[in-house]
Amino acid sequence: MNNSVPHIPIGRLLRSTTVGFTFGCSVPEPEVPLFGDFVKAPAQHGQSEVIGLISDILIEDDPFVRQLIAAPDLPEAYIQDQRKNRQVPIEVSVLTIGYRRNNAVFQELPPQPPMTLDYIQRCEPEEIATFTGSHDYFALIINTPDTSADELLPAALQRAAKARPADERRFFMLQAGKELARLLANDLPRLNTLLRRIQVIP
Amino acid sequence: MKDESELDLIFPRDHNETSEQRPYLGMVVGGSLSQGLIVKLDASEFPGGIIEQLAIGSYVVIQGLTGRRFFCIVTDIALEHTNPALEANPPSENDVFSAEIYRSTVAYGRASIAPMLVLEQDEEKPKPVKTIPAHFSIVAHANEQDVANVFGTEDEHHFHIGSPLEMDDVHVNINLNRFIERSSGVFGKSGTGKSFITRTLLAGIVKSAKASCLIFDMHNDYGWAVRDERGREYKGLQQLFHANRVNVITLDPKTSQARGDRHDGALRIPYDAIEPEDVAMLEGVLALSEVQVNALYFLRRRLGKSWFQKLMSDDDNDREELDKYVSEGELIKGTLGAIQRKFELFRRMEFLQERVGDDIIEDIFHKLNAGTSIVLEFGTFGDSLPAYMFVANYLTRRIHRHYVAAKNIASGRQGDDPRPLMIVIEEAHKFLDPEIAQHTIFGTIAREMRKYNVTLLIVDQRPSGIDDEVMSQIGTRVTCLLDNEADIRAVFSGVSGASALREVLARLDTQQQALIMGHAVPMPVVIRTRDYGENLYADLGHVTNADPETNVKHAKEGLFED
Repeated sequence: MNNSVPHIPIGRLLRSTTVGFTFGCSVPEPEVPLFGDFVKAPAQHGQSEVIGLISDILIEDDPFVRQLIAAPDLPEAYIQDQRKNRQVPIEVSVLTIGYRRNNAVFQELPPQPPMTLDYIQRCEPEEIATFTGSHDYFALIINTPDTSADELLPAALQRAAKARPADERRFFMLQAGKELARLLANDLPRLNTLLRRIQVIP
Repeated sequence: MKDESELDLIFPRDHNETSEQRPYLGMVVGGSLSQGLIVKLDASEFPGGIIEQLAIGSYVVIQGLTGRRFFCIVTDIALEHTNPALEANPPSENDVFSAEIYRSTVAYGRASIAPMLVLEQDEEKPKPVKTIPAHFSIVAHANEQDVANVFGTEDEHHFHIGSPLEMDDVHVNINLNRFIERSSGVFGKSGTGKSFITRTLLAGIVKSAKASCLIFDMHNDYGWAVRDERGREYKGLQQLFHANRVNVITLDPKTSQARGDRHDGALRIPYDAIEPEDVAMLEGVLALSEVQVNALYFLRRRLGKSWFQKLMSDDDNDREELDKYVSEGELIKGTLGAIQRKFELFRRMEFLQERVGDDIIEDIFHKLNAGTSIVLEFGTFGDSLPAYMFVANYLTRRIHRHYVAAKNIASGRQGDDPRPLMIVIEEAHKFLDPEIAQHTIFGTIAREMRKYNVTLLIVDQRPSGIDDEVMSQIGTRVTCLLDNEADIRAVFSGVSGASALREVLARLDTQQQALIMGHAVPMPVVIRTRDYGENLYADLGHVTNADPETNVKHAKEGLFED
């Protein structure tokens, strides 16, 4: 396992549980972080890497924003300054969908969550393609009670499809659709919605 | 989805087999021995594709967990789903993506299959199935080698009758010993090819010399050349075999000559040989009442052998003799008059004559016993059901009597067993109607099985009209398309696991397809019947357009055949 500091960290861990974690970052870039992105965080002192999906992005106010919000004719420079030098970080929630240890991928909850202030890194396309080679992690998503799973899963599958060559994407989505159909055979309205969401690959 | 390596574990690639030769179909998910097994069809490679390619009646092989291999026949195919809401809310017609996913998961194909035979590990001969494969056993299409193993190879005891559907290179061979051992039947609607299958079967029996056949050829289908609906000509049995193997006897020499048929004699029946039993069987056709039938027996008792001649006679002395019984009160005038009116029918049967020189019955028996099959051509009399029934009954009763005598002599070790005889009758339901089957010679023959070495081959389009007890004795049933529910039920009466095969029967093609089941085949099989043509002629030893020397050579060889 590589213990070095990641080249492109997108944040540091705020808090975590086995089923998910939250990291903080300052200003979001247009492409980072995105809802449905695959991210990874070191765990077990670097022996494993927890892999999760960005399931929520929370931008909270702070006392200064509250004061500014009421100000009339707010100059653009103030707005940009407040955004770049935030006092409260942007909170990004991640749903854990598996972990990696010794180059083996496990689509189940990790033995330990990542520790606070650990760097969070976005997964590379090859890592996404490898992790999504099987679909056992679907159960972790659709069974989670407090996440908008029906939004998260299509978003994640779109990322996973894009991580593959263009000619493999439709087959990948078909296989994913079949797994969904197996899991949601008794809930056809939900299945229908999900299938409609995953068949168009941007 | 089963990947290739897993399939290899289950179906090892011995005997040069590959998984391509035995394509994966699905897995056993339920069922029973009596009701058949349920197979969930695989949808991984081509969702919905397998179900469209799987024909009812085709063979599948199930590899059991204990090394047993089960041979089964597909009896039904169905579309299933895991959620009834799918019927109400199917994917839209443009939603190809969802439809493809549904077709391989929530919606799936289900096949019903009937296990028929099991091949135990390390054994070569399959046995009737007494157990079923375990849950989730793998089901695959049977390959040609599997089917060939079941139906054996053609030899002196087995005759090639056709090929399983979509397996043109595999021969289905019926066991002739078993075919003639019990009475058999060929059933099917008009125009489904009964006559061609019957002719092929008879050719096989004649060639094998395992039995002689006495064929009551109502429509002149078997003896000499026949034409099909398109006008193509096919050879009859007499053209295919030497004269010492097949003889044609005609009831109507004029028609036979006009047709250019070669015949070996004409049947003439003398009045004084006719017995009341010969006529009594026609009570339904002639509308004879019980009183009238009893009157026949009375007249036979009082008038002796000339009873029939006197009833038919216009001679005043004969009429006075009959009137005497009326005046003495032994016979009611109305009854006598009715009998005489109904007997007018016999005047049109020119083969009934007051005096006949030779005893043709004895001659026919000797020929049959010597291995010569007899085709009795009816000529124009084939259109007359009373004539056909009368002659068939008349001859069969007497030939059977000879066989009973010969068999009894053989039992006393004073003679040889008579050669097995198969009597072929058409329109069999007229002879084997439940009301008369108990009393007729044909009912007797069907019931007594091969006790006296005589069996029946009944050719019929209305098996529902045949007595149940007789049907239950039919060993081998060759059935072309039937669509009447009662007929289908009749064909399957007494066959275990028959319900599974009903759909197979109802889906046969209208021509050249037949379901064979029973004593002579190891398991029910739907066949495309063998083409009746040059290849068959050649297999039977017939040489088309051979030079005269070759014909003479063949004829000489035929003289010394068994």
